[in-house]
Parts: sequence; structure tokens; C-alpha cells
Amino acid sequence: MTIIAARTRDSLAIVLPPVIFGVVFVALWQAWVEIEDVQPYVIPKPTAILQSLFDDPNLVTKACVVTGVNALVGLILGSILGFVGSVLTNRFRLVADLVNPLAVTVAAVPAVVIVGVLNNMYALDSQIGRRLMVSIAVFFIVFVQVTKGLRHNNPTQMELMQSYAASPRQVLAKVRVPNTMPFLFTAIRTAAPIAVIIALVSEYFGGTQDGLGTKISGSLNGSNKALGFAYVVGGSIVGLLFFAGSSLLEYLVVPWQRRRRPG
Amino acid sequence: MDTAVPNPAVVVSGVRKVFNRGATNQVDALIDIDFTVQRGEFVSLIGPSGCGKSTLLRLIADLIEPTDGTLVVNGKPAHQARLDQDYGIASQHSGLFDWRTVERNIELPLELKGWDKSRRRARSAEMLALVKLSEFATHMPWQLSGGMQQRVAIARALAAHAELLLMDEPFGALDEMTREHMQAELLRICSETGTTVVFVTHSIPEAVYLADRVVVMSPRPGRITAMVDVGLGRDRSELTREATEFFDRVTEVREALRGTHVGDPIMGVDDR
Repeated sequence: MTIIAARTRDSLAIVLPPVIFGVVFVALWQAWVEIEDVQPYVIPKPTAILQSLFDDPNLVTKACVVTGVNALVGLILGSILGFVGSVLTNRFRLVADLVNPLAVTVAAVPAVVIVGVLNNMYALDSQIGRRLMVSIAVFFIVFVQVTKGLRHNNPTQMELMQSYAASPRQVLAKVRVPNTMPFLFTAIRTAAPIAVIIALVSEYFGGTQDGLGTKISGSLNGSNKALGFAYVVGGSIVGLLFFAGSSLLEYLVVPWQRRRRPG
Repeated sequence: MDTAVPNPAVVVSGVRKVFNRGATNQVDALIDIDFTVQRGEFVSLIGPSGCGKSTLLRLIADLIEPTDGTLVVNGKPAHQARLDQDYGIASQHSGLFDWRTVERNIELPLELKGWDKSRRRARSAEMLALVKLSEFATHMPWQLSGGMQQRVAIARALAAHAELLLMDEPFGALDEMTREHMQAELLRICSETGTTVVFVTHSIPEAVYLADRVVVMSPRPGRITAMVDVGLGRDRSELTREATEFFDRVTEVREALRGTHVGDPIMGVDDR
């Protein structure tokens, strides 16, 4: 009983402060708009945003699904390619020495503009260009982290493998690749919210008009600011879901990470 | 007929090890090392920090190569003995794999030897019973205490039927109580399995309590300065730690260590 009570108190202590901060922030926003009589085409009231969110929940949900699926497909594809790419290149020292610095550099370039090129390669109503764009961004994040993991070897474990007369292939399969798991899932957790942002921003470079990105810019440029903000709220929820999902995945797959986290 | 002749477990002859040979940071780690470990014998290697006792163990394990001299393990060159997995090794860091259960950690060397799954599982169960951790077979290493992790590491080292156990301060990171318990456990395991042990430590009482023979080494460049026969018999218990003979041997080893550097305080040797 007391343990449960203490646990509840501990989680409340973690959850409560940000919740209170959020509620106070929204309340102040509402009060400011009301008191200063700010026009709805400048900043809408939180209540008006909620109103348009619930007027037609399908509107926001549909756009969330379009962008969310793009982000998810890109996240999965990019993670797989990044992981496989890193393991394969690092199998060969020379290739690794050529590719690794390049990957670190490219990962830092704001490459969203590539989506313009990608869009031209597929039909106008295709989502493939956006998904590929997300994959590219995720690929580099995962590639760099997994490479770090492949080189992060525990000396005792490597010596043990040597004492077992293990072949380089066995060391790779039994030690080095499993050792990358914490790095892989940290990378996925980092990449997940970025995937959503890239999916959203990709929509600004042409293609169909059904995702969160185009809906937000359309509504904010038009007169319906409240609906535009409702789409922003939808985008935040998608981003949070991605972060929560990837954190849960990390928790389940690499439970020993609860004790240690790589840099 | 060769197999009928009982050959020693380890024969080290004329071994010298120089690191970074010819460079400005050249280190003469070991010189003139000659000693033999008989089958079933428990030998402790003791000496001040940096005397090369760990280097000597790694040479026996063929993890590094000697500059001069030969090492024969289990009647064959050390290199061949490593390829045949003739020895098991355990060090201060248990080196358990986080992503494997306790039993699958113990089965790793067997996997590499190509044993099939049912045979591996039977052997790991046997080893877990030996180290008294049967009920933790499906636990993850990070759920165990430090002492339990070391017991798993010992079980793993012995899993492939190794008759020789090489240990480098395996209990160095444990607290005193756990350490004494682990020492007793190790002696029990060795007497049950007839394993030969080469045990590196910097604790004099630990060296004496465990070993049939203590090999005393000098500061760098490390050489063997004394061999102390412990002669306390094989039945050792907590009472052994309080016996007069035990203290006599501890004193003998301490003086042998001191003799290596008259007048100087011995750095890095633990009197506990």
C-alpha cells in the first residue's frame, strides 16, 4: 500500500508540474485575447481552436493520418536502410572510412529541399516523394548512431570472443550488432519527431493538398486561423505519439537501457 | 602413448614480453619467466601493481604473444590451446552480455563451438546448478548482484569443459563479505570439477587462502622472485582464515614481496 502510494506520489511529482504549466499557459492566452480584445485573424482564442477541432473532427484527423502515415513509412524505411547500410559499410574498414565522415556531414544539411526533386519523379497525387524525403533524413540519423554503436566495444567482451577463437563474422553477429541496439533505438527515438516535422514540411514543396502541412499553411493564410491552429494541435499530437511510441519501443527492446544510456 | 603421460597444465619457459619495442615508450613488462602449473593445481600470481601479472595471464591465454620464450598449455602451444578452447577465462569485469539471459550467456562459448541447442541447454543447467544459480536461468544479467554476475562468469568459463581456468582479479570489484563467500565457492567448484586455476590477485590473504602455491613477482620488469608452497591442504573453511599456519603463509608471502624492494613500502599490494 505504502509503496503504491509512494509510486503514485512520485509519478504525480513528475507529471503535475508540466500539466499545471500547460493549463496556466492556455488560461493566460485565453485571458489575454479576451481582455486585450485581440482579433481572431491575428491570434484565435484557445476555446475557438477547440471549437473548430470538434466541429468536424474528421477534417483534422484525416490530415493527421495522411502526414502521420508518410512519417511512419519514412521512419521505418529510413531506420531499416540506415541500420543495414551501417552494418554493411562497417564490415569493410576502407568503405567505412570513406562513408562515415560523409554521413555525418550530410546529416547536418537541411536536405528537405530534395523533396522538390523527388516530387518531380512521381505522379502528382503520389506520397512517395515525401516518404522518401523522411527516409533520407532518418537514414542519416540512424546510420551515424549505429556506426557509433558498432565501434563502441566492451574490451572484456572482445577479449572473451578472442579467447573463444571467434571469427570476425561471429564477433559481428554475436557482439557488435547486438551492441548497436541501444544506439539504434536511441536514434529512432530522436528521429521519430523529426520524421513528423519533415513529413509536414515536405508538403510545402508541392503535391497533394491533403496533409497537415498544406492544411496548416492554407488555413493560416486564409481567414480561418482557429482551424489552422486546430491542425497545429493535430500535428503536435502526431509528434507526441511518435515520441511516445518510439520511447516505448526502446523500453521494450533494450530494457537494460533503463540503467545506462549511450551518448 | 603421449596421452598416457600426465603433462602439466601450463609450462612457461624463458618468457619475455616487451611492449612498444624500439619506440621511446618501450616497456619491459616481463623477463625470465619460467614456471609450471601441474594439473589440478591452484596457483596464485601476486605482485605489486604494474608488475605484469595480468600480462602473464594474457600470454598464457594467447591473447597477446611473447617477445621471447614459449608457452605450452594443455600439452600444446598456447595458440592451439586457445583455438581448441582448452581454457576458460574470467576477469574483474564479468563481461556478461546484456541482451542474453543468464543461461544464454553461459551457452555462448558452446554456441561458438557448434553444440546443438538441447546439449547447450543441458550443460548450462548443469553449470547453473554448480554455481547455485539455477533459479536465475532466465533472468537478465543486469538483474543480478555483482557477486551473482561473477558466478555466472565462472559458470561460463567452465561451460566448455575447460580443465584450466584463468582468472584476473575476478573478485576485485566485490565487497569484502561477498569476496570471501566467492573465494569459498570457487574452492568448492574447483574441488568438485578438478579444475586447474591460475589466479591473479593483489590481495595477499586471497592468494594464500585459495592457492596450493603462490608465485611472487617483482615490480616492473616483472620476474618471479619467490614460490611459496601454501600447504594448508584442500579442505579449507572459514576456520582456515583464522589458523596460525594461514597467518604464517601470509607473512611469508608478504616478506617475499618486501624482499623484492628492500626498505620501500610495497605499492599496490593489498594487505587485507
